[in-house]
Amino acid sequence: MEKLYKFLKYTFIILWTVFIVAPFLWAISTSFKDFQSVNSKVTYIPWLDFEPTLEGWRVLVKSPARGGVDIVEPYFNSLFVTCTASLISIVLGTLAAYALSRFTFKAGFVRNNDITFFFISQRIMPPIVLSIPFFIFLSTIGLLDSLIGLVVVYIVLLMPIAVWIMVDFFNRVPKELDETALIDGCNPYQAFYKVVLPNSIPGLIVAGMFCIIFGWIDFFFAFILTFTEVQLLPVKVVALNSSITPWWSLSASALISVAPLIIVAFVVERYLSKGNLSGALK
Amino acid sequence: MNLIGENITYKPDDQFHLNDVSFNFKKGNLYTILGRTLSGKTTFLKTIAGLLNPDSGNLSFEDNDFIKIPVWERNVAMVYQQFINYPHLNVYENIIFPLKQRKISEDQIKKDVEEALKTVGLVGFENRKIQELSGGQQQRVALARSLAKKAKILLLDEPLVNLDYKLREQLREEFKRIFTQGLSEDTILIYSTTDPQEVMELNGEVIVLDEGKVLQKGPAKEIFENPRTLKVAEISNDPPMNILKGTKNSEKLSFENILINSPSHFKNLSDQGYNFGIRASEIKLDDQGEEFEIELAEISGSETLLHLKKGESKVIALIEEVMNFKIHEKVKIKFNENKLYAFDQNEELVSSPYGVSHG
Amino acid sequence: MNFKHKYVFLFPGLFVLIGILIFPIIFTIRLSLSGWNSYTPEMNFIGITNYIRLFTDDPRFWESFFRLSFLSVTTVILQYIIGFALALIVWREIKFKRFFRVIFLIPMMTTPVIMTVIWRTFFHESLGPVNDLLGNLGVEPILWLSDPVIAKFTVIIVEVWQWTPFMFLLLLAGLLSLPKEPFLAAAIDGASPFRKFVYVTFPLMAPISIGAIIIRLIEASKIMDTVFVLTSGGPGTATETSSFYIYIKGLREFQMGYAATLSFTYLVIMIISLTIIAKVLTKLMIKK
Repeated sequence: MEKLYKFLKYTFIILWTVFIVAPFLWAISTSFKDFQSVNSKVTYIPWLDFEPTLEGWRVLVKSPARGGVDIVEPYFNSLFVTCTASLISIVLGTLAAYALSRFTFKAGFVRNNDITFFFISQRIMPPIVLSIPFFIFLSTIGLLDSLIGLVVVYIVLLMPIAVWIMVDFFNRVPKELDETALIDGCNPYQAFYKVVLPNSIPGLIVAGMFCIIFGWIDFFFAFILTFTEVQLLPVKVVALNSSITPWWSLSASALISVAPLIIVAFVVERYLSKGNLSGALK
Repeated sequence: MNLIGENITYKPDDQFHLNDVSFNFKKGNLYTILGRTLSGKTTFLKTIAGLLNPDSGNLSFEDNDFIKIPVWERNVAMVYQQFINYPHLNVYENIIFPLKQRKISEDQIKKDVEEALKTVGLVGFENRKIQELSGGQQQRVALARSLAKKAKILLLDEPLVNLDYKLREQLREEFKRIFTQGLSEDTILIYSTTDPQEVMELNGEVIVLDEGKVLQKGPAKEIFENPRTLKVAEISNDPPMNILKGTKNSEKLSFENILINSPSHFKNLSDQGYNFGIRASEIKLDDQGEEFEIELAEISGSETLLHLKKGESKVIALIEEVMNFKIHEKVKIKFNENKLYAFDQNEELVSSPYGVSHG
Repeated sequence: MNFKHKYVFLFPGLFVLIGILIFPIIFTIRLSLSGWNSYTPEMNFIGITNYIRLFTDDPRFWESFFRLSFLSVTTVILQYIIGFALALIVWREIKFKRFFRVIFLIPMMTTPVIMTVIWRTFFHESLGPVNDLLGNLGVEPILWLSDPVIAKFTVIIVEVWQWTPFMFLLLLAGLLSLPKEPFLAAAIDGASPFRKFVYVTFPLMAPISIGAIIIRLIEASKIMDTVFVLTSGGPGTATETSSFYIYIKGLREFQMGYAATLSFTYLVIMIISLTIIAKVLTKLMIKK
């Protein structure tokens, strides 16, 4: 019985690991193929099944004028939009979360919990519902197809995440800590940045990671609100898909796009093992 | 020039945290707030610190309206029962934190910190991280930070309650020394606790608090000798004072079929029903005494606490030696009638072995 | 604590969020009462004509909504079962624990559309590895993307791959924060692993499970990226979800007014149904 359980357990996680890894292995293999090895028959292992070439990767660094795929600019656009929106969301979200965790707000029937719910519930908003008015709004003020327009929209996506994680984090920081700072002569602002903030770094890192993940992987807003001036990475990669399937450069650019955030998986795991994440996500 | 509170009431929900509390604290004195958990002690201290604003009442210090002064300008210091320090700073940085806030000269800061470290016995620990210290040491850092600040009002909220027994005893001794030597004549020290023994040892002015209400004020000795009500008698004794319902009948007192002689200080009491009170330490094992059944025997330190029962009456006796008893064993005990208290049906003190001082 | 400073902390975030959202929402409501389309791109007023059309003459929207419900509920249930199983396995000591934890987290860090581009080549009916490998086993080529029924399951497979990690993360974080005492008690009683799960782990995890399921349902209800790239809603309308249908009406056919009607109705339905689901789940899972 014990043995059977163990066997099933390992079989399950090994099969799941294979399932997770499979598309990556396929993409890596494909990125070294040429037209012949993609279109004649299905091939898997370089040298054994097909002769690998670096063409798929070379295209990425070639200038568009010479038939390359310009992935550098979308890369930095994505980086800029994700980081700016994350930063603004975290700053504003952390301040609001601190207020909601420490002070009491009363306005009519509205209490702290209702305000917190308002922040977090913005995740319910389907992107399509926002994108149509934003499309018209941004085109009216001339910010359609611009980075700033995207940053504004991304704040709606990310601030709920920041508030969600930070309210929970601050609730676990003893309020006596801030009280001591107040007694020791800090006004509430000083108490926040001299005492609370330096002790909130684990929470801020977790919130930061989640904002960056959910900013980086968004496609829909970028797709609808930008065209030619500004292109974000996912839009660029998907655009490659619709032309005549050069699977090799498609795979190479896809791999390059998802690579940076895979590092985040290691960071998340580290926090998980140290127990810092457990409270932050409950 | 005193710290004066008038009719302070704080009722954030449907329960009183402070109920019409008034006081007049003088500089250079030690005040202890005695009360059980949730009796409003912390609220009391936080109101003085300025972390809470009372719903009504006045608070003034040095003839200024204290309520209008925000907490960070009040120049108070507070030590919490949890060991609260700044985890991101080391011991030295923790202690200078309030001093830097007040822009005191570097030289003065250095001197003050050294003095505070010496007072709490943490010289040589300056560069340690807070997390590396034991609970007792963390609490010393918190105390040092409060002392170095030379605040005019020093608040200590059950500072020893989270320490283990040994450390508590040790630190309590040190506190006594620090309070008598290390404090300036200018300071008002307010210390809250649930432990009557701490109150007696610190020997200051006592305020007994229950459900946010002041039950009795006075010197520690006065509270101990003449608890004005039954409630105060319970709160100010550990174990709580034993209360036995009985009647006085000329020269005899009776309860649970026990008859004992009425003590001389009861002679002016009329013959009627009373709540008789007696401390656990005034009940002795005696072969000539009354038979009680043991419900529980706890040994703590060099003493044995016996929880005894006879009929409807339960009493706790404190035996000053370590003895082994079996549960349900019968023992004979004698009440020291000369130390009996009498409370009337309204639970107010009518006679005490130390003579009642009304008012 | 109560200082007037509290407003300085709360208001910037609150007002930025309200500021960004208030216009789109009011605008959507107003737009839904107009006949804005590519011929007459203006904010005229046609009353509730659009709503009448939606409720009497648009089965395609309701079909897309039920399809979305089917897809999101199915994927979330699968994610919950698999994610919980994975979390339970790597919760306790196991060989290469940290390696497996990292692997199990990776898909959620990848951009869904980009991975879907890969999946499209993966499930390609003649040049993809799945049909090729199955062909070696003698299985006839499967129409992963062009059969109306199978295409739904392809979408589910991709969604499960993408988002099980998030469920796994929430549940593992929950497991790691559980108190130790109940497990000690169960161990002393000599409970079997199965009984321990039913009587200790699962009840303790119920609140966390509900939270995780709701969060995932909210996110899954936005399924759009995957469908867009994998099947473009096809074949026919076999994998078209509400969002995708609104997108087609609004930004392909430029029936902005009608798309706003769909958007607003969709939002209201989402809020109501998620509230009901949250209530029902709480009742079902916490009662025991």
